[in-house]
Amino acid sequence: MKGGEIDRTRVVFSWAMLAPFLALFIVFVVYPLIQSAFLAANQTFGPGTRTYVGTKNFQLLLSDPVFWKSIWNTFIYALGSLFIQLPIAFLLALALNSRKLRGKGIYRLIFFSPQLMGLVFVSILGALAFEKRAGLVNQAIAFVTQNPKYLEIDWLQQHVMATLILISLWLYVGFNMIYFLAALQSVDRSLMEAAEIDGAGAWGKLRHVIFPSVKPVATFVVLLSMIGSLQLFELPYILLEGSGGPGNRGLTIVMYLYQNGFDLGDLGYASAIGWVLALILIGLALVQVKLTRAQEVGP
Amino acid sequence: MTTPGRRSVNKWLLHAVLVVLAVITLIPYLWLIIASLKGQDDFFSAIFFPPGDGPLGIGWDKLTLNNYRELFELGFQKNLINSIFYSATTALFATLICAATGFVLAKHRFRGRNLITLVVLGALIVPPTLLLAPGYELLYDIGLLDTAWGLLLPLLAPAFGVFLFRQAVIQSVPDELLEAARIDGCSEWSIFFIVVLPLVRPMIGAFMLITFLAMWNNFISPQIVLQSAEKQPLSVAISQLRGVYKTDYGLLTAATVVSVLPVAALFLILQKQFISGLTSGAVKG
Amino acid sequence: MQRVANTILALRGLSSGVWVIGALFVVSAALVLMREQEQRGDLEFWLFSLEHEQMYVPLIKEYEQTEGIELDTTLMSIPAIQSRMMSGFFGGLPTADLIEIERAVAPQVFMGPTEAIGLMDLTDMLASEGLLEKLNKPSLSPWSVDGRVFGLPHDVHPVMLAYRADLTEAAGIDLTQVETWDEYFQALRPLMDDGDGDGKPDHTPLSFWYTNQDMIETLLLQGDGQLFTQGGTPTIDNDRNAWLIAEMTSWCVGPDPVAIYVDEWSAGGHQDKVNGVAIGYIAPDWMCSIWKMHVPGLEGKLKLIPLPAFEPGGRRTSVRGGTMLGIPKTTEHFDRAWAYAKLLYTSPEVARQLYQEVDIISPVKSLWDDPVYDQPDPFFMNQRKGRMYIELAPEIPLRPSSPYNKQAAIDVRDAMGQLAEYARVNRMYTPDELLPRAKELLARVQKQTERRMARNAFAAEDLAAPAIGGEQ
Repeated sequence: MKGGEIDRTRVVFSWAMLAPFLALFIVFVVYPLIQSAFLAANQTFGPGTRTYVGTKNFQLLLSDPVFWKSIWNTFIYALGSLFIQLPIAFLLALALNSRKLRGKGIYRLIFFSPQLMGLVFVSILGALAFEKRAGLVNQAIAFVTQNPKYLEIDWLQQHVMATLILISLWLYVGFNMIYFLAALQSVDRSLMEAAEIDGAGAWGKLRHVIFPSVKPVATFVVLLSMIGSLQLFELPYILLEGSGGPGNRGLTIVMYLYQNGFDLGDLGYASAIGWVLALILIGLALVQVKLTRAQEVGP
Repeated sequence: MTTPGRRSVNKWLLHAVLVVLAVITLIPYLWLIIASLKGQDDFFSAIFFPPGDGPLGIGWDKLTLNNYRELFELGFQKNLINSIFYSATTALFATLICAATGFVLAKHRFRGRNLITLVVLGALIVPPTLLLAPGYELLYDIGLLDTAWGLLLPLLAPAFGVFLFRQAVIQSVPDELLEAARIDGCSEWSIFFIVVLPLVRPMIGAFMLITFLAMWNNFISPQIVLQSAEKQPLSVAISQLRGVYKTDYGLLTAATVVSVLPVAALFLILQKQFISGLTSGAVKG
Repeated sequence: MQRVANTILALRGLSSGVWVIGALFVVSAALVLMREQEQRGDLEFWLFSLEHEQMYVPLIKEYEQTEGIELDTTLMSIPAIQSRMMSGFFGGLPTADLIEIERAVAPQVFMGPTEAIGLMDLTDMLASEGLLEKLNKPSLSPWSVDGRVFGLPHDVHPVMLAYRADLTEAAGIDLTQVETWDEYFQALRPLMDDGDGDGKPDHTPLSFWYTNQDMIETLLLQGDGQLFTQGGTPTIDNDRNAWLIAEMTSWCVGPDPVAIYVDEWSAGGHQDKVNGVAIGYIAPDWMCSIWKMHVPGLEGKLKLIPLPAFEPGGRRTSVRGGTMLGIPKTTEHFDRAWAYAKLLYTSPEVARQLYQEVDIISPVKSLWDDPVYDQPDPFFMNQRKGRMYIELAPEIPLRPSSPYNKQAAIDVRDAMGQLAEYARVNRMYTPDELLPRAKELLARVQKQTERRMARNAFAAEDLAAPAIGGEQ
């Protein structure tokens, strides 16, 4: 039976191709993941010292005001990136998608370039730029408004999440812009021309041609950006030097996880936090899938 | 109704807005480069150029390359090589592994495929921090702490990469082509290398750049996994320049400049693929 | 062969960037592989300060030659030491033989069950070799648990007040006779006038703000406030603490506050110091070298006085920051590590350099006679500042080693923020008016802290399972 033989070689090939990934994935992702599920039912002082506490970690977590604070902060940040960063990225992409625009290659490069910076540097720079009085940001605001009272905006103590949203605007807008740009370039030219012949204005083209063709990418970008935002960690961690800042105003979920697990050695509590976060992310992903499906089925 | 006159006004307006945004984006670089040329005494004396008697009221003579010299006297080239090694290795092998996995999951039918696909998609939302603690314990158990293997192996199988390549293959590799190649007598292996890889080449460029950049700027995992100073990459070496009693900002900014240049060059080379690669991965599937 | 050639031909279509990365991989891998394997020494020493390393190296070299052993020093950032040390202790993995640990990190070492503390108990060694008497006693407190000492103190870090003597002397104000904070603020009233007419006082007496946790803790300690007993019981909710935070809050609020926010580390804050935005700055010994490096414009403009006290006869100094040297239990060469520890931490040369390089005074009392401490310091108008700090050293307050102290201090800072808000809303600006609210806020912090501590299953009795090493 030749067909069966071919099938068998193909199956062997498939598994051979999968083997490196599966081996690494099982050892370095699945196994630790299972471990962390066990950890969440323990209190630990590092991995060496454990005591079983059942669901106590989760009970404590739900009544832990600091944890709720971190969830609140993280959602503020995520909403900031959703409603400020992504629209700006989309507008930039629209602007740079124009065929006739001169120098768009250079603009594209410039807007993307902050991605190349390491976070250590970005946070040091952020701390200097958002300082009270002497910081570049306040100086600029005060200069533009000609009102010296804006020199006193206390970004790093009072408005930490706003500061983070602004820094990540600088850092990530170019990245998301590239995604949108990629999507815009796949918009069917003939559709655009047809719309133009039909006398559609800029808004009409946007609504009837561009939005529908960008939607799949936009959905993807929104999901990616939500996942990334909810896992925000390194930037505030370095910016605030490991603490949550005054009143924990800059504490994010993953920072709280790290604090508990690595500063205090309670890997159990940390794993519990990690699992709650994972549940939130799964929920978000499911909602997203539902929404996309519903739209696909609908008109 | 748009008239040609209004259109050109619009164009200028657009350029004006873009230029302002570009300048805002670029100011930090200007600051960075100038700061790396300043001595410690001048660092806090002015935000940008140190004041002096030179042209434009700038103390040009106060600018120096000392920070860069000192950097290489401290042995920074070692960290630079480490960074290149870690990043290039991750980029190369993660891309190969993800491309192979993505291809098989997209085009081959076998028992367990759906389960694996589901698990990979699910892994996209696992917060990596959740794995830090058990991952560290594991590396100790298998004796890979403080080794390049211990740093790199866990990073070579990113679920995100498999997802991207699966999308890219679904998008740009037609089944008929694979069948035609098989009829021509190509083995499965050569189909992968000769037919599939060139077809997903934009994604290869994009994903390589993403992984290279991510490893280049990654500092949490090397800091936890590596112990010896001579194994550290640039990112960790730079963060360690932040002193306890005093931070040498000149040295820090010079180190940042040195660390950005290689990835900037790489980005310039890869940027075309980067954009088209992301398109193919971003479309729904 | 044909197949290989085909493959290469097909792959030629890949972008140049891919080949660049491939080439980078080959070259860098070759370089990394060719690199000579560095010989590990007999002992491993982790430290976080480049300055310390530079001071130790000559001494280490000399010692190595006479003893024929090799010590490897590894420099890394505090978070790196923290994560590697703690994961080492947590999992019983080998770390280093000697580790310098900063005050902000050390309490974590004392978090779990006492038997699980990863560092050697040095008490008996210190006692039998007479070191316990030689060291400045209060400097041992942050490294001690239940009277057992787990680290050699690196420093004392007494605190003084640095003030802009150029400005006060020009105004004919003498601060040398000032004894209390009230007198200090009173004496500087004349400088608070708005001479330049910008609607703000020209100078404010003190750089202090209710958001600066370090400063709050420093002054709380000065005033005999106490967040934890030496045994580790939280005592946050006490009258003295409440009065102290009410007093300090009152400095920051009201129509003309005597304290102002000046950033301690940033360019803007440094500019404010040069401009004399505040007259007085809280100055632990190590701060002197920071200013010399980052704010050279202050040279010859500052003078030091002991901290003004909260009431007449009160303590005139405090303490901020600090480092210890610890020996992990996993070391296989305790005797050698101990010999090194003593060598480095009691060496007159290192102590002298520590003062010359970073203005830090040694905790070893017998070294205090060194004339280096009597040298006039031009940065501080030729004051003999080393001697001034040394005179205060024995009086520095004791500090708790409780792992919950850091979070409690953060909570107290936040409580002070709420108190300041309350003061503004209700227009209550005196400590007496603020006291009842301060008590309420501290009672809340006390509750939070107790709750946090109760979560510790290793300390709580209701979770019966004795769990040391109990992998389930």
